[in-house]
Amino acid sequence: MSHDNSSPKFLQHHFHDVEQQYETAKLGMWAFILTEVLTFGGLFVAYVVYRSWYPEMFVGANLLLDVNKGLLNTIVLITSSLTMVLAVWAIQKKNQKLSLFMLIATFLFAFMFLGIKYLEYSHKFEVGQLPGEYYSYMGPEIAHLNNPHIFFSIYFIMTGLHGLHVAIGMGLIAWLIYATAKGNLNSEYYTPMEMIGIFWHLVDLIWIYLFPLFYLI
Amino acid sequence: MSEHHITPLKTYLAVAGTLFFLTVVTVWVSYFDFGSFNIVIAMGVATLKASIVALFFMHLLWDDKKNLTMFVMSLMFLGIFITVTLLDTGFRGGVNSEVESPINNRAAFYDSLPLTDTHGHPVDEHSADHHGEGEDHH
Amino acid sequence: MAENQKQNYLTHPKGIMSWLLTLDHKRIGLMYLFGGIAFFFLGGVLALGMRLELAAPGNDFVSNDTYNNMYTLHGAIMIFLFIIPAIPGALGNILLPLMLGAKDVAFPRLNLASFYIYTVGALFVMYTIISGGVDTGWTFYTPYSTTSTSNVIPMTMGIFVIGFSSILTGLNFIATIHKMRIPGLTWYKLPLFVWALYGTSLVQITATPVIAITMVLLILERLLGIGIFDPALGGDPVLYQHFFWFYSHPAVYIMILPAFGIISEIIPVHSRKKVWGYKFIAFSTLSIAFIGFLVWGHHMFTSGQSVFSQIVFSFITYFVGIPTGVKIFSWMLTMYKGQVSFTPPMLYALSFLFLFTIGGLTGIFLGAVALDIHLHDTYFVVAHFHYVMQGGTIIAFLGGLHHWWPKSMGTMYNQTVANICCLGVFLGFNGTFFPQFLLGLRGMPRRYATYDQQYAELHNYSSFWSGILGLSIFISIMNLLWSLRKNNKLDPGTNPWGGMTLEWTHTTSPPHPHNFEEEPVLEHGPYDYDKVIVEPTFKK
Ligand code: HEM
Ligand SMILES: [Cu+2]
Repeated sequence: MSHDNSSPKFLQHHFHDVEQQYETAKLGMWAFILTEVLTFGGLFVAYVVYRSWYPEMFVGANLLLDVNKGLLNTIVLITSSLTMVLAVWAIQKKNQKLSLFMLIATFLFAFMFLGIKYLEYSHKFEVGQLPGEYYSYMGPEIAHLNNPHIFFSIYFIMTGLHGLHVAIGMGLIAWLIYATAKGNLNSEYYTPMEMIGIFWHLVDLIWIYLFPLFYLI
Repeated sequence: MSEHHITPLKTYLAVAGTLFFLTVVTVWVSYFDFGSFNIVIAMGVATLKASIVALFFMHLLWDDKKNLTMFVMSLMFLGIFITVTLLDTGFRGGVNSEVESPINNRAAFYDSLPLTDTHGHPVDEHSADHHGEGEDHH
Repeated sequence: MAENQKQNYLTHPKGIMSWLLTLDHKRIGLMYLFGGIAFFFLGGVLALGMRLELAAPGNDFVSNDTYNNMYTLHGAIMIFLFIIPAIPGALGNILLPLMLGAKDVAFPRLNLASFYIYTVGALFVMYTIISGGVDTGWTFYTPYSTTSTSNVIPMTMGIFVIGFSSILTGLNFIATIHKMRIPGLTWYKLPLFVWALYGTSLVQITATPVIAITMVLLILERLLGIGIFDPALGGDPVLYQHFFWFYSHPAVYIMILPAFGIISEIIPVHSRKKVWGYKFIAFSTLSIAFIGFLVWGHHMFTSGQSVFSQIVFSFITYFVGIPTGVKIFSWMLTMYKGQVSFTPPMLYALSFLFLFTIGGLTGIFLGAVALDIHLHDTYFVVAHFHYVMQGGTIIAFLGGLHHWWPKSMGTMYNQTVANICCLGVFLGFNGTFFPQFLLGLRGMPRRYATYDQQYAELHNYSSFWSGILGLSIFISIMNLLWSLRKNNKLDPGTNPWGGMTLEWTHTTSPPHPHNFEEEPVLEHGPYDYDKVIVEPTFKK
């Protein structure tokens, strides 16, 4: 019953073989993605409901967001998704150096995303476009609209939760960089990289919706 | 693990290219006014982009279909959540029209908020323009 | 080999750290079991305190404020710290890998993490209690919960945290059921308890994220006044109810589906008959899990939701009755012409059938809008959900505990005492809660410490029997624990009920640290009593 010495050291004792372990991890990851979709889902529901109740306010308030920064962030995030997938590709192709490079690039793009987000947020803080009762912006474009603080509540909660995911993703990618550099991940065993990759693409995927919902329509 | 599907580099690059292209398209379209169709277009493009990410970057196209099922299930339950909630929030007021939407008066704290310029600085109502300009030069 | 036979997961490895850091699903399950029972006890004390207050109409024992805290904590502790984690976390953890012939769950570390997250959540709840309690009711309805001065935030944080533990357990079980079965153990050869855990896990991972985000929004509403649930800020308190019940109605299936699973195991084993309608039971589990997502609005019939959605929710609610009925009939047909033996687990299963049927049927009554407008927030609802949650889930849990106790602990409790306690639970339960149906029909509202003289008799009756109920449960647990005394070990080969699933046929009692000495080879289906003879063996 105990596995013989030839089985690789990353194979945990309760699995038969590497393939079973890999498939199990992946299924678990997808179940996790499902929970993520539904977590954000609750916020999407709030968005849809309030948009349907306050259509003019939403249209008016979204003009206060900076489309250029949003667009830039979209491009940054898509690029980081590409570098992430290429990191997995490179390691499958036994090119650990390239993989490491791609991971570092992904990390930097993630950092850039948060940097741009920081600029956006700090502007909003300055002018008082804040969530809830902290809202104080009454500029001419919006002063006549009903309850714009709700828009900014939803905006800050959704992008904030998304930003939190970016930050967590950065932590995970940093760990991947460490593990790859040490040689713990290689073409035989790269499951963590693939799983964190899936997580990272989810972060991208959610932003793909957030961008038009807040900045464009 | 070597027998796993390895997607060719070209595919990944083409996918990223498509995503960039669609991003530009959706921004471009948003500058035209199609009325409520803007939402439909924006969501359509976003869904297209999201599907591409899921199928190619997240490998659902080649994976065990269980994983795809999991993902589709998440969207299905989200769909249920949204639609069924809208059955309420979109149809209130059938009996009492006053409850059609939330008590739509502005939240009380707006009463004490001064009008501001586009920088969020309070303006007093008579000299709004003048004041606003002055602030600009700081 | 002989040396090996003496090893079991309880005694090997040794030391307190080997428990606290264990990755063994059986040990994690036991830790969940004792944690859950501790909270069951705490919730039970609160319940008896409330019944004491309600024994007479006035404020005789506690103040109104204290009473509000008591029912809130009772509900929240029982639901979030006991019922939801107890069956999947305790019995599910111990049994699932055994039933699949696996060495462990798919992600053992995640499993341990899940237990500790549960502990952290429990600490939040403890903190809430120590720092003065919370008085909103377990549902935390806005706008009261955004204005109440009691400790709403630590309590909701606790629920937020416990949610993650529930999600991780569900995720782990799904991966385990899909990927860790031994060769030959196909879906239709799985014990029905596994199907039940599968349905439960699906609900856990789909619904729980929504309560997590709801709690976050509620906390933010209190901290920042985000205006999403607060009518004074342009928000909509009814939306809170949608969010809450989108989780909490499916959550009642997180509570009851594993109970269904336990009953589906107990009945064929103790009737020594092949289960009737295996596929009906299996698929009704999945369809209940699914329909459960479409009916949440039946908790909101008086909230001011649109008439249109009331009709839709009411209509769909009736459909829940169909798969539920299918199960009840399948169990009855399983017993039909079987050799039913009146062992403690079987007595609990029979009580379950009786009590759950009453609970389910009254649920259908409440699902009718017109009737519910009269009955909502009365004791009728209180009686309904106690019939399903206590008469259903907790009774099944006790039954399961008695059924698998010899397996997981390697000892046998005093069966006569257990049978008497089961009778006490059954009588005490009905005595406590049946009068509450009548109280509700006569208009007694829930969540009040005092009441009109006209209700005094029924309340007094209910309080009296609640004492019997509490005492019976207490003794039955003590009876189980008493069996753990020295020199009371069973022979490791014991199969006291003649079970046919892998945990009975292929491993010792208590099981080996790695579950099986050799990977089991499947010889027969889980309930093939018509083909194979498995004699009960009972040796000291
Ligand atoms: C046949 C299936 C069931 C139906 C049709 C049903 C229906 C209902 C309805 C309509 C209500 C709302 C009553 C009101 O507040 O006016 C209700 C309340 C409740 N039900 Fe059920 N139910 C069923 C099974 C269950 C099960 C299996 C459980 C738990 C194990 C459960 C737990 C609850 C709880 C906890 C409440 C009250 C929540 C509260 O307001 O505090 N129900 N049920
Ligand atoms: Cu319900």
